[in-house]
Amino acid sequence: MVKIWQAVVSGLSIGSIYALIAQGYYVTFITTATLNFGQGEFLMIGAMVGLTAYVTLGLPFPIALLIALAVTALMGVALERVAIRPVIRHVLSHSWVLSTLAISIILKNGAVHIWGPEQIKFPSPFGDQVVQIGNAGIFPQELFIIVAALGTVVAVQIFLKRSVLGKALMAVAHNRNAAAVMGIDVKKMVILAFALSSALAGLGGVLIAPVTFAWAYMGTVPGIKAFAAAIFGGLENPVGILIGGLVIGLGEQLFGTISSNLKEGITFLFILIMLAFRPTGLMGRRTIEKV
Amino acid sequence: MRLPILAATGPRGWAAIAVAAAVVYALPLWLDDPFFILVMQSLAYLYIVAMGIDILVGWSGQISIGHAGLYAMGAYTSALLATRAGWPFWASASTGVVFAGLTGAVLALPSLRAKGPYLAMVTLAFGFMAEVTANRWDFTGGPMGIMAIPSPRLLNGEEMDGTQYFWLIGGAAIVVQVLAANLYYSRVGRTLFAVQGSEVAAETLGVNVYGWKVLAFVLSSVCAGLGGAFFAHQNGFINSDTFVFGLSVQLLTSALMGGTGTLFGPLVGSMILNLIPTVFAHLHEYQLYIYGGIILVTIVFLPRGIVGSLLRLNAVRRLLPRPAPIAPDNSVLGELSLGAQPSVEVRDLSRHFGGIRALQNVDVTIQPGEIHGLIGPNGSGKSTFVNVLTGIYKPTTGSVHVAGREVSGTASHRMARMGVTRTFQSIRLFGDLSVLDNVMVGFHLRLKHGFFSHLFQTAGAVTEEAAYRAKAMALLEFVGIGDRAFDLAQNLSYGQQRLLEIARGLAIGPKLLLLDEPAAGVNPTELHHLSEIIGRIKQAGVTQVVIEHHMELIMGISDSISVLDFGQKIADGTAAEVQANPKVIEAYLGAPDEEDAHA
Repeated sequence: MVKIWQAVVSGLSIGSIYALIAQGYYVTFITTATLNFGQGEFLMIGAMVGLTAYVTLGLPFPIALLIALAVTALMGVALERVAIRPVIRHVLSHSWVLSTLAISIILKNGAVHIWGPEQIKFPSPFGDQVVQIGNAGIFPQELFIIVAALGTVVAVQIFLKRSVLGKALMAVAHNRNAAAVMGIDVKKMVILAFALSSALAGLGGVLIAPVTFAWAYMGTVPGIKAFAAAIFGGLENPVGILIGGLVIGLGEQLFGTISSNLKEGITFLFILIMLAFRPTGLMGRRTIEKV
Repeated sequence: MRLPILAATGPRGWAAIAVAAAVVYALPLWLDDPFFILVMQSLAYLYIVAMGIDILVGWSGQISIGHAGLYAMGAYTSALLATRAGWPFWASASTGVVFAGLTGAVLALPSLRAKGPYLAMVTLAFGFMAEVTANRWDFTGGPMGIMAIPSPRLLNGEEMDGTQYFWLIGGAAIVVQVLAANLYYSRVGRTLFAVQGSEVAAETLGVNVYGWKVLAFVLSSVCAGLGGAFFAHQNGFINSDTFVFGLSVQLLTSALMGGTGTLFGPLVGSMILNLIPTVFAHLHEYQLYIYGGIILVTIVFLPRGIVGSLLRLNAVRRLLPRPAPIAPDNSVLGELSLGAQPSVEVRDLSRHFGGIRALQNVDVTIQPGEIHGLIGPNGSGKSTFVNVLTGIYKPTTGSVHVAGREVSGTASHRMARMGVTRTFQSIRLFGDLSVLDNVMVGFHLRLKHGFFSHLFQTAGAVTEEAAYRAKAMALLEFVGIGDRAFDLAQNLSYGQQRLLEIARGLAIGPKLLLLDEPAAGVNPTELHHLSEIIGRIKQAGVTQVVIEHHMELIMGISDSISVLDFGQKIADGTAAEVQANPKVIEAYLGAPDEEDAHA
């Protein structure tokens, strides 16, 4: 039982990280029908920048976090300029897959150059003491991850639904041309979407690094699993994405208590089964092609 | 972009094969260096895999970022059979190819309905499953992998040396290129390009799109499996470290970088990507920067890939062989009147989308051989009506009988089999195919020779293609665009594109042809031509349904007319009857008392 409880907490915490990164896929997908396949590397950069600010420079954790968010947001702007805008009207509809992957390859190499290939310990601002809740031993960082990640997911949704800027972004998502006619600067909204998306990944990196270590190759797997979460739930449905993240996080941790082999494979098995029956995910919109 | 050349074989083709074979033979003798030979071996089998990716991505328009899994399938099957069961190379490798092909068929199932990022996810998930399975399963040797995989043997029982093994792989690569070229220029390549161009349009011409997508997956997987088997026996050792996401990305990149759907793109792309590590070996630390940079630069600046971009240069285009003129075979026009003309009975037809009632209890009867006009204001349900009649939408309630047979809910490609096809309001041509090839896709159901005949270019398949090209030419001349036969369909003018859609529809030998706004965007001169053609199609004996906003045209050509408004049929009859009907006038101009109220 204890094992199960610990798995549930770990599952929720890793799942909320997936949900957080996947919200980043959501904002860019609804605005541009593209997403950053290098989102995992932006997570890694967030963790590494956070590490440098927090440990090397000794800045307070909130400041380090802000720096990490600012750097990843700026990189998101650059990504949009270099790898999305030039290819978005391309003859090949999937050019963006490779252009964003190319950026991720370059970032990984860059991280190895700057921070080296080793795994580096990222001390949790809440210490490494295990807290006993009932019989289960839980790291305070894991609880912090759940609160911070899910809180951010909710905050992003409130931003998109309530604020003027967020509504403008949603307007672009619904109808690019109509939004432009209403005086919304579509280009800026797309840039905003990529900045937001990348900052979410950067936040994910700072949150998860104390649990996993920080290193150049830390991002690939969470990036892909978050993509799986977004697809599982339906790329255009934020609630579906949240459910997808938590289901995948819980699934891998719970099946992980049975066997570590299952832990690795279960996510992708889930996804294949889901897509075989619902080709646009759990809560994705089924489109009827207009002819 | 499928090049409008007609055949890959002939003297030029044989000469090219001879040159390629000579190069493969001479390279290892000339540069007699074990490392270089190893690099050349890898290049040759990775090229085979890239060609497979191009068939899937560049021809049929799907995507895979999990091809390493299929490559692993070939490698592990062959390695296991060779080491555990002692099978000779040819047997273990061909079993590997078959297993990879079967895996591809299974992988195709969740991929059929998934599109874009969802499809990418299916293939990605498969790739990861394969990697994890290879890494965790005792049977595949776990992380230790499989060791001591024997090299293939010569006929005399000796193991091949590096040079001989390169000749084997290089020979296989040439065979793959030739067979791929056979498919590319044949019915198979044409149909896959049509699926990429427009699934809906391909369906309405009788192409079973699902089936053809499965074929693309299987062909692609067979190539991946073959490459994988060559890899396993080259190294003598495999483990899961090879079959990672990065390899899938590299393979997809080599197809895209070279230029998808250009036949030579995979070769060029594989050469570049496989030589980068060798050329920049001394810059070891920066290799990933260079690799990532090259991907980014080619994707951004050469969106059609290297070969694709070259082909757009006029200087290069002039070097390509010109297709020989084709004498039209006008018998195809006579064939249009064959077969019984159907009557069409639509009873109580409704189609709802959520709360929207696009069609409500519509009854329409269309007499054999007539032109039935369908008019109504925008949003009145005309397009939905055509979509239901051609099997694109299923009706919510009601029935459609064609020639006395209940057809409601039948898939588009089966409707085409019954002789029902259409054109589209928003033009859906296969833009990357030539004008002639667009019509050839329309002959899909009438062609008898299948995959293997085209793979090996049997005399039967070649003769059949030539015969139907002559018929296609006749249809193009019938609609008046015979002079554009070898241009890409996307380069035609708007009016010509509409005419091409009609010619393509006629190719199936339709009993019922539905024209969805054929005059939209057509200029007055072309309009006259269009109404003449519609009249001649009627004379040939084809029943037609024409949706149009252009009243002069519709009133002039229609034998009977139905009027829709807000999803309901409000009137029918001859042109004169409909024009005099007060409900019709009201639907178009508004009720008179309403105007009084405004005044």
